Amino acid sequence: MSTGAASPAELAVRFEAEAALVADRAAFEQLRLAWTGRKKGILRAMLAGMKEVAPQNRREYGQAVHQLKVAVEGGLEALGERLSAQEKADARQAATLDVTLPGRRPRLGSLHPVTVVNRDIEAIFAEMGYSVAEGPEVENDYHNFEALNFPRDHPARDTQDTFFVEGGALLRTHTSPVQIRTMLARAEPPIRIICPGRVYRNDNDLRHSPMFHQIEGLAIGEGLTVGDLKGTLETFIQRLFSADTGVRLRPSFFPFTEPSAEVDITCPFCAGSGESLDGGEPCGVCSATGWMEILGSGMVDPRVLAECGIDPEIYTGFAFGLGVDRVAMIRYGIPNIRMLFDNDERLLRQVQS
Amino acid sequence: MLFSKDWLSQYVDLPADDQELARKLTFAGLAVEHMEECDGDLVLDLDVTTNRPDCMNHYGVAREIAVLFDRPLKPPAHLEDNDSAPDVGQLASITLNDERCPRYAAKLIRGVTVGPSPDWLRRRLEAIGSRSINNVVDVTNYVLWELGQPLHAFDLAKLAGRTIDVRPAKPGEELVTLDGERRKLDPEIMVIADAERAVALAGIMGGRDSEVTETTTEILLESAHFDPRAVRRAARQLAMHTDACHRFERGADPEICAAAATRVAHLIAELAGGTVVPGVLDELGDRERSWRLEGRLEMARLQRFMGVEVECSIVERWLSGLGFELIPVGEDVWTVRVPGWRYYDFENRKPTGAVYEADLFEEVIRLHGFANIPSTVPKLAGIDASPSPLQEARRRAQDHLAACGFVETINFAFHSPQQAVSYPAMGAVGEEQTTDDLATVQLANALSERYSTLRPSLLPGLVESAQFNQRRNAARISLFEVGNTFLPSGEELPRETEAIALVQGGLATQGSAWEPRGEVDYFDLKGVVESLVSALLPGATIGSSEAVLPGFSEGATAQLRLLPVAGAAAEGEAEGELLGHLGQLEVEGPYPLYAAELRLGALVKERRVARVEIPSRYPNVEVDLTLTHALTVTWRQLAARIEAAPPADLKGFELKDRYRGKGVPAGAVNTTISFSYNAEGRSLTHEEVNERHLVLIRQMEKSFGIDGEA
Ligand SMILES: [Zn+2]
Repeated sequence: MSTGAASPAELAVRFEAEAALVADRAAFEQLRLAWTGRKKGILRAMLAGMKEVAPQNRREYGQAVHQLKVAVEGGLEALGERLSAQEKADARQAATLDVTLPGRRPRLGSLHPVTVVNRDIEAIFAEMGYSVAEGPEVENDYHNFEALNFPRDHPARDTQDTFFVEGGALLRTHTSPVQIRTMLARAEPPIRIICPGRVYRNDNDLRHSPMFHQIEGLAIGEGLTVGDLKGTLETFIQRLFSADTGVRLRPSFFPFTEPSAEVDITCPFCAGSGESLDGGEPCGVCSATGWMEILGSGMVDPRVLAECGIDPEIYTGFAFGLGVDRVAMIRYGIPNIRMLFDNDERLLRQVQS
Repeated sequence: MLFSKDWLSQYVDLPADDQELARKLTFAGLAVEHMEECDGDLVLDLDVTTNRPDCMNHYGVAREIAVLFDRPLKPPAHLEDNDSAPDVGQLASITLNDERCPRYAAKLIRGVTVGPSPDWLRRRLEAIGSRSINNVVDVTNYVLWELGQPLHAFDLAKLAGRTIDVRPAKPGEELVTLDGERRKLDPEIMVIADAERAVALAGIMGGRDSEVTETTTEILLESAHFDPRAVRRAARQLAMHTDACHRFERGADPEICAAAATRVAHLIAELAGGTVVPGVLDELGDRERSWRLEGRLEMARLQRFMGVEVECSIVERWLSGLGFELIPVGEDVWTVRVPGWRYYDFENRKPTGAVYEADLFEEVIRLHGFANIPSTVPKLAGIDASPSPLQEARRRAQDHLAACGFVETINFAFHSPQQAVSYPAMGAVGEEQTTDDLATVQLANALSERYSTLRPSLLPGLVESAQFNQRRNAARISLFEVGNTFLPSGEELPRETEAIALVQGGLATQGSAWEPRGEVDYFDLKGVVESLVSALLPGATIGSSEAVLPGFSEGATAQLRLLPVAGAAAEGEAEGELLGHLGQLEVEGPYPLYAAELRLGALVKERRVARVEIPSRYPNVEVDLTLTHALTVTWRQLAARIEAAPPADLKGFELKDRYRGKGVPAGAVNTTISFSYNAEGRSLTHEEVNERHLVLIRQMEKSFGIDGEA
């Protein structure tokens, strides 16, 4: 770069102007070379120009060039520091993650809603000392009906539309045959079991599925009372739903219990008020009654105990059963039982126990 | 079942508050499902359970109300004749030739004029949804709904020989019933016959030829008792259901026959004129039968059973109000006689015949109310039993698969016969896999053919669920199910084999939408199965042998076995306990599906203490080996060779890479294996390891390599 005829003072102004335009390291290097380059730098040229200056002016000229040199070198240093700071900031910026991007998560699977509810119920009863008993899904008439005091040609069988298997066996209509098998196998009470499992009824419409799930419970011992049945059911229901769930028993009839009771709970959708919680409309889930039928229960019929070799004079017991699918539907807000068996993973994946 | 409030009030003073009435009935076991005003009357819809035929009539419900509200019960009139009986037997005769009819009572009325019923009677019947026919038939219906006894009026003039013969129908016998249907009968069906032919189906419906018409003047009123099972069997066989058989099936009152007939006869005489012939024809057959059951009731046992104290006098009042007879036999102990109308509810069906005390307790409990029994905790200590190894294995399998990204499904257990056998049967894995003649368990009354065969494998349902989700554009499928499979066993019940089935396809479950890791393949699913097996059976090894199985692609399918001990691989992969199978499915779809099915039982082992191996204090020395070998050489062969003569201090080896492509000859593959060495007590040098490793490399190349020959 030529110094032209510019004076050191003019050059100092020019340096300021050029320095102000430098935005990155490359321009800085260019500026540095232009001004302080060992061969072609302006400062170099100015120093070399000393010999063309009249001797009497050399001292003054030298001072002016020195001033220019100090100004340029100081300017370059400051500029360099500013650039470094900016580069560091840029680098930091470039390395900064968008921490709001989604993580690469291992995809979780899920347990079926029925499994989740089954496990919850099993856990509640495990704490009360119950074990889990299981049995075959294809049963004979004896275990599914006869031993449970459903005699042949009795209208009580009308309520249990049965699938028969070629050859005379049948698909169990409830898990009660597991109770019978357990009692027959273990003649010595006490017995405390729950029996979860698939059951089948010849019934297929919007509200029924030909296959569904039940959990039944059975406790037999010396001196078990109706109060014990009530206490057990209340503990269970309040653990499964919520501590403020109301429970009431209504006398009913099942062939295998005596007395028998339907068990209602306060409707979880309207908290037993019969009115929807938002708008005061009648609750559609419980038909505005505030109650929901959820369980069947009773004291084990002495005919059943006797049939299984347990002396009803000495032992008493209670039994209960509920539909697991129904609990799952209530809990997760699934309107139709068939949706539980469509296996649409968009629905199932939402159920994380 | 419908009840009229007006009608009920004939027998008991009803409370003013209808809601209170409904509430008390409901909590005593007669659920009031609905109440509706109707012509100034109130109609109650009660859910009467099958054990309470005594409450399928107004007088029976009034009896409950009388006890619940502690009010007197007013019985209907004319339950007995005023006159003493002359010989009614000269006007008609009855013979019982079928033990399914233990009692047949009849009443005669002469000189009636059949016509329309008066308004009050029509209204009564219409309130409960019954249609008026004529004054004679209406009265029999009225008493059915009043006392619960089904009655039938015959035109006596049309009964040949003026005789009633209760007998089994003759083979091929026919009868045109009141509804105009011609019924074909057989001896399973009990009939009422005259001297010549069947005139009614016992307990179900009368015949058209002997029915009461406008010209009838002389009536024989049947008021009989029939065995519940016989009536039910016949009604089902004939596909009929009537008010009469509804009651007989549930058990009518065997002791009310004569009284009900007498009441009907007098009501007919009142409404249709004529005279009641005094006396009742009442045949009890040759079997002397009592319908009076007896039991023992002890207050102490009752209170222990309920878990609450009840007053003795209240129990006495309740039970006597319900018609039980209490005979004191000690301090707060009675012999209790059960009324006829509760006979079938209290029947014991055991030779001893005594009434179970729990049946008596029930009466007290429902009147006392469950709400008034305090809740208690059963006095049973400890626990019943721990979970079984099978239950634990199932739970761990479900948890493991869910943690691996699999979604648990539940599929129906029945399929069409073709679909059911579209995959290998679980119980039959390893047996001959010919699905064409595979015997399956068939339902006798399936909903449709589509649901007629119990599944021998979980895969038909699970694959259907996978395709359901594929059709909904699922980018990846990973589903599983745990459940029973069914095959005939040759015994009464089929063989049920619990299985775990998995299906997977599409995008890998690891990675994310913005950085996918590609599609899963055979070895992804195999890895899941291997990890499942290690989770349930630590240390177990799976052997795979190529197999041809229905529903699976040839060349991408294997049978899986549990090798007896780790390192026994050299024995060959076709040995060991059969576990299941795994492979690519032969189904159409947007991406390939892979599936596996395993026998849960094979993964259940008695719990052992698994000892750990204490790791060396020195770091492992890792060395790789890359071998170019023919595709026909299997990994199992390579591994077996290494295991057969492992170099000293070799701790383990695993597959690191497989490469086919540039630089690898056609028909060959580069397999890279990593080896870990460790000398336990000291630090190994790379030189030592390399020395041993070179020997191994030379052996492997000599046996399997193709470099030298190429
Ligand atoms: Zn509600």
